[in-house]
Amino acid sequence: MHSMTDWSKVLEVFGSGIVGVYLVMILLQLLTQLSTRIIDLVEKGNKTGAAAPKPPGNDVEVKA
Amino acid sequence: MFDIFKQLIMSSGAVSLTGGNLIMWLVAFVLLYLAVKKQYEPLLLLPIAFGILVVNLPLTFLMEPEHGLIWFFYHYGIENDIIPPLIFLGLGAMIDFGPLIANPKTLLLGAGAQVGLYVTFFAAILFGFDLREAASIAIIGGADGPTTIYLTSKLAPQLLGATAVSAYAYMALVPIIQPPIMKLLTTDHERKIVMSKLRPVSRLQKICFPIISAMTIMLLVPASAPLISMLMLGNLFKESGVVERLTKASSNELMNIVTIFLGLSVGATMTASTFLSPKVLFIFFLGLFAFIISTASGLLMAKFMNLFLKNKINPLIGAAGVSAVPMAARCVHKVGSEANRRNYLLMHAMGPNVAGVIGTVVAAAILLKNLG
Amino acid sequence: MPELLAPIAGNVWKILIAVGDKVELDDEVIILEALKMETPIYCDDNGTITAIRVKEGDAVNEGDVLAVIG
Repeated sequence: MHSMTDWSKVLEVFGSGIVGVYLVMILLQLLTQLSTRIIDLVEKGNKTGAAAPKPPGNDVEVKA
Repeated sequence: MFDIFKQLIMSSGAVSLTGGNLIMWLVAFVLLYLAVKKQYEPLLLLPIAFGILVVNLPLTFLMEPEHGLIWFFYHYGIENDIIPPLIFLGLGAMIDFGPLIANPKTLLLGAGAQVGLYVTFFAAILFGFDLREAASIAIIGGADGPTTIYLTSKLAPQLLGATAVSAYAYMALVPIIQPPIMKLLTTDHERKIVMSKLRPVSRLQKICFPIISAMTIMLLVPASAPLISMLMLGNLFKESGVVERLTKASSNELMNIVTIFLGLSVGATMTASTFLSPKVLFIFFLGLFAFIISTASGLLMAKFMNLFLKNKINPLIGAAGVSAVPMAARCVHKVGSEANRRNYLLMHAMGPNVAGVIGTVVAAAILLKNLG
Repeated sequence: MPELLAPIAGNVWKILIAVGDKVELDDEVIILEALKMETPIYCDDNGTITAIRVKEGDAVNEGDVLAVIG
């Protein structure tokens, strides 16, 4: 505990941490918005589907 | 006759009591008071307090490796990383991600609050803690008991009791800690911003979210897997609506049982020798610092986002990125309604609140990956 | 006839008005409970209560009609 603080490691943890959290959250936000929009379209299509059925939307479970 | 009596006394724990033990009794009694009388997070603080008490009664060997009753709970439950993920299973079965799905921008607010964690990490290093200990202290700001316990047990188990008690204590104190910061960093005008009704979220969207989240997060940060997989599984149970027995078991029976073992085990790590060191005072101070800075970074993130948004969000909800669910959301609602009676921010604040839970796990996983 | 709508989902905890009461803007009319928190709902019109559509203990969703003001 009394050894020299490895400041480069501290900065690495600090930087990768903040960048990492934002990266994950931004990606999750985009995927959520995308899937929500797709599902909205699918469900709207199903609702008006009685008269003119739309082709089924993308399978939202298939995620890269 | 006299010999038998003498033997009884000599084998009793009472003669081996140290001054430290007595101080820990006091700590235990204070926590018991807070739990029972003031109802501060009693579900955790009560078993923790009792764990502290019994482990500071000498010669019980309750925490003796390979032999002690509580040691078995601790070893198999916490050291083997079973208990915190199971708590997350129950949490997921109770959480509603609806407000988050309705407004996915709030994920960024959940991220914003985590910045406070890393600032605390830095501060802890300046205080002299080594990297692993600093990380365990920083995660207190995530306001998430199981994540704190999970990370601390892996990086700095000697600090487990102090960090866990800090986390739960400050979570209960959120209504006192947050409002001053909220008022300091926001203008009266900003606090009055009314947020419009949340768009409706369909059942299918609520089912897809845990699946997409689990896959995304675990692909990007595999170290988050134990906690995220359980959180999202629990949520999937709930949102699918087809496994009500499993949902109920996760959120009730399982959750309650695991909480008992969690509290007791964590409390039992707080022996006089591990707890009574000046480090612990620093931990309590830094824990408070963590909550304060995370609140601030969440608020600032919201204000920053507002620069780019046409439909401005009320920056107060940024404070709910500190994932004390739902205490922080309630606090935001209250401060918001004080500024504008017509503002009902509770549900809007739940978005960042639950996003913060995800954010804290991701932050913990990245810390683990770097330092584990 | 303006309707008083529930701004959030919750349970009706206390109804502070009765049919026939005169109410003014910003009067506290109903208290909802959401996430274990008391949330007072304020009147957004002046007038007289002509109908109350909920009773104490009911669960309401965002947008449900709580009362009608004439």
